Amino acid sequence: MNFKKFKYILLFLPIFLFSACEAEFDEFQADAGELDLTTFVSLGNSLTAGFADNALYRSGQKSAMGNILATQLMHAGLPEFNQPLMKDELGLGGRLVLGVVDGALFPVPMQGTPDPGNFENIFATEGPFHNMGIPGAQTQHLLFSGYAGLNPYFGRFASNPAATVLEDALALEPTFFSLWIGSNDILAYALDGGEGQGIPPTTDFQQAYMFMLNQLTAGEAKGVIGNIPGINEIPFFNTIPYNPIVLTDQNIVDMLNSAYEPLPHINFSLGPNPLIVEDLNPEYAPFFRRQLEEGELVLLTAMDLLNDPEMNYGIAEPLPSQYYLSIEQLSNIANAVDEYNDIIIAAADAFDLAFVDVNAMLKETKSGIVFDALEFNTEFVTGGAFSLDAVHLSARGNAVVANAFIAAINSKYNANIPKALVSDYPGIIFP
Amino acid sequence: MRKTILIALLFFMTSTALWAGGYQVSLHGQKQIGMGLIGTSLNLDASASFYNPGALALMPQTLSIQAGASGIFASTAFRMQDPSVYQAQTDNPIGTPFYFYAAGMITDRLAAGLAVNTPYGNSLKWEDGWAGRFLIEEISLTAITIQPTVSYKISDNLAVGAGLVYVLGSVDLKRALPVEGSDGEGSVNIEGSTGNFGFNAGLLYAGDNGLNAGLSYRSQIDMEVDDGDATFTVPASLAGMFPDSKVATMLPLPANLDFGLSYQVTRDLMIGMALNYVFWDAYEELAFAFEQNPDLNDSSPRDYSNTLIFRVGGQYRVNEALYLRAGGYYDPSPVNEIYFSPETPSLDNLAFTGGLSFRPMQNLSIDLSLLFILGLEGEREFAPANFGGTYKSRVLIPGLGISYSL
Repeated sequence: MNFKKFKYILLFLPIFLFSACEAEFDEFQADAGELDLTTFVSLGNSLTAGFADNALYRSGQKSAMGNILATQLMHAGLPEFNQPLMKDELGLGGRLVLGVVDGALFPVPMQGTPDPGNFENIFATEGPFHNMGIPGAQTQHLLFSGYAGLNPYFGRFASNPAATVLEDALALEPTFFSLWIGSNDILAYALDGGEGQGIPPTTDFQQAYMFMLNQLTAGEAKGVIGNIPGINEIPFFNTIPYNPIVLTDQNIVDMLNSAYEPLPHINFSLGPNPLIVEDLNPEYAPFFRRQLEEGELVLLTAMDLLNDPEMNYGIAEPLPSQYYLSIEQLSNIANAVDEYNDIIIAAADAFDLAFVDVNAMLKETKSGIVFDALEFNTEFVTGGAFSLDAVHLSARGNAVVANAFIAAINSKYNANIPKALVSDYPGIIFP
Repeated sequence: MRKTILIALLFFMTSTALWAGGYQVSLHGQKQIGMGLIGTSLNLDASASFYNPGALALMPQTLSIQAGASGIFASTAFRMQDPSVYQAQTDNPIGTPFYFYAAGMITDRLAAGLAVNTPYGNSLKWEDGWAGRFLIEEISLTAITIQPTVSYKISDNLAVGAGLVYVLGSVDLKRALPVEGSDGEGSVNIEGSTGNFGFNAGLLYAGDNGLNAGLSYRSQIDMEVDDGDATFTVPASLAGMFPDSKVATMLPLPANLDFGLSYQVTRDLMIGMALNYVFWDAYEELAFAFEQNPDLNDSSPRDYSNTLIFRVGGQYRVNEALYLRAGGYYDPSPVNEIYFSPETPSLDNLAFTGGLSFRPMQNLSIDLSLLFILGLEGEREFAPANFGGTYKSRVLIPGLGISYSL
């Protein structure tokens, strides 16, 4: 063998092999399936708008469920998705950030003055908008002319003061839409401790919901809809236990029992004791107070009262009735959630739309779920699924929900829309 | 010359790396690498002290010294479970496993030798900010073994041998933590080192008709780190929950049972095969115990399975000065498909090897080898983290050795 020739082979063989040595994959081929992705509109409330940490703010909107969904649809051809972005990180609502209070981590108001531009109508300069998520909106509000004057979140991007949310959405002529609405119908009642306005009757919800779907699908548009989560998994209602008063001294137990002697239905014992709450039921006249029962829920806003050292709320002073939900109120809520959700799933069937069972997802989250090596549960702050306001989802929570919407879309419309990478979205920021 | 070798050794010791199944490395002699890494039935030279201590007393030389090293150019790619556009690749440092062997006949029947090499290791770095960063960002496992060996020739056809193995190992790994501050995500770095003993024993039958048969066994060695250092980088408000801590962990280096056959077909052509059975089932879990904060203690399943590696190879003597070699092997992954952590993305490996020896003079041989490993594409998942996708890998390992014999 000619050694010189051999030397060249020796030299070139490694170079050839080095080039074959890089492991690589082909790119993922996204596919819109049966969808026409010319124009996508996301219709809903705070959950789709990107409201988090008690405010609608710029970076939160980028992690909005509607925007995450749209970003993924772009892989399959969606050309644009315009959001009514806030001008800054304070936004509108009173943003919370995690702070250290008395050595413990707790949400505190973010310091600073919001940009006045956050309150000005931006339709003429930046509109129209594809993310039609309106924080605070209930189902019927989307059909209400003049709502722009009542809800500043819509006021800042309505096409005109008389426009309805639905009209502005339809003006874009969506070829594909998402509708996730109804939560606030029930949440508004729950957040008032059942003491404010009632839950809109199921028939009213049904009428508004079906009307919207009729309008949205009139031009053959396809869509995806989600149902309503119940409140048993929302940290706002599940952080303070019904029995946070832990007594370890028999003398104090005796003292309390003797003080409450005229009210035989109130009893204290060693260990955890239920809160004393106000209850206006005539059964409890004339003092209108009782102990909470297991299963009743205390609102997170009661925290300030319970921490008030002067007043002794829950022991000497009853916790006012707007700070808890009774068994009866909870049953009103549970019934409404069930009835609304029956209507939503029936509508998905009737209008042949993709459907997401958000309610079931959230129930599953309570015991803990894992995506992309990130664990989520419904614990306040540490659970990761909810933002600092304890009601709205975190950025990563939104990504998990968006992925459920994508899974429903893919299966319904034979599409191959890629899922969002949950860990790409920000987590809770610790100081 | 001596000084240069020492410096080279020191340099190599800073980084050794994986590329056989799991975290076992099988690059212990350029001649063997060239022949599909068969070695159990071969009595070529001092490298037998590692491959089969029983073969040492039957080596043709009275004194054999050799040293060598390989460069591992490895690349692993990951594609997130469909549907997803996400892909990532490793950006590995170049691994450099090495070996040094010296052996000689003390009497007609008794041989003694010393082997220093790197039979286990793993060196891996995923691209910055990759999706699996909460499982692993980078890892470096190194293990250097020192093995004094004796071998006894029972007859001209049969010899036995054994070595005492001391392993010096170290681990250095980094994971991201899903706690975010204004400066970004937290992380934990775990470092530790340890040493332990084991043994290596073997038997070689070298028939007069050119047929060799060998059997060898290397014991399992548990690398128990009990005073490693865990360093946490977390937002200030969480520093109290993540104190820097002493950490304990354990990694078993699996036992190996090897059987090999080789046959001198003609004066110039030799062919052989080997079966390596690796007792990977010793690797059940990867656990970390933090002395200063037991709340962070973590145990994650691995559940490896034993594997059988099948190797074939051969050597052709062109002339006095030139030997050519070729071979290949199939090394199935020991990693459980649902506990497939990206820290050891070991796939079913199909490998092709080639090599040559150039002997400018009777006593000196310059040995070159080239190994190409195809990590066969497969869908894997680390179920506890709901993290899965398709992996594949490519590894190219050129190597250079030098042998001197009398």
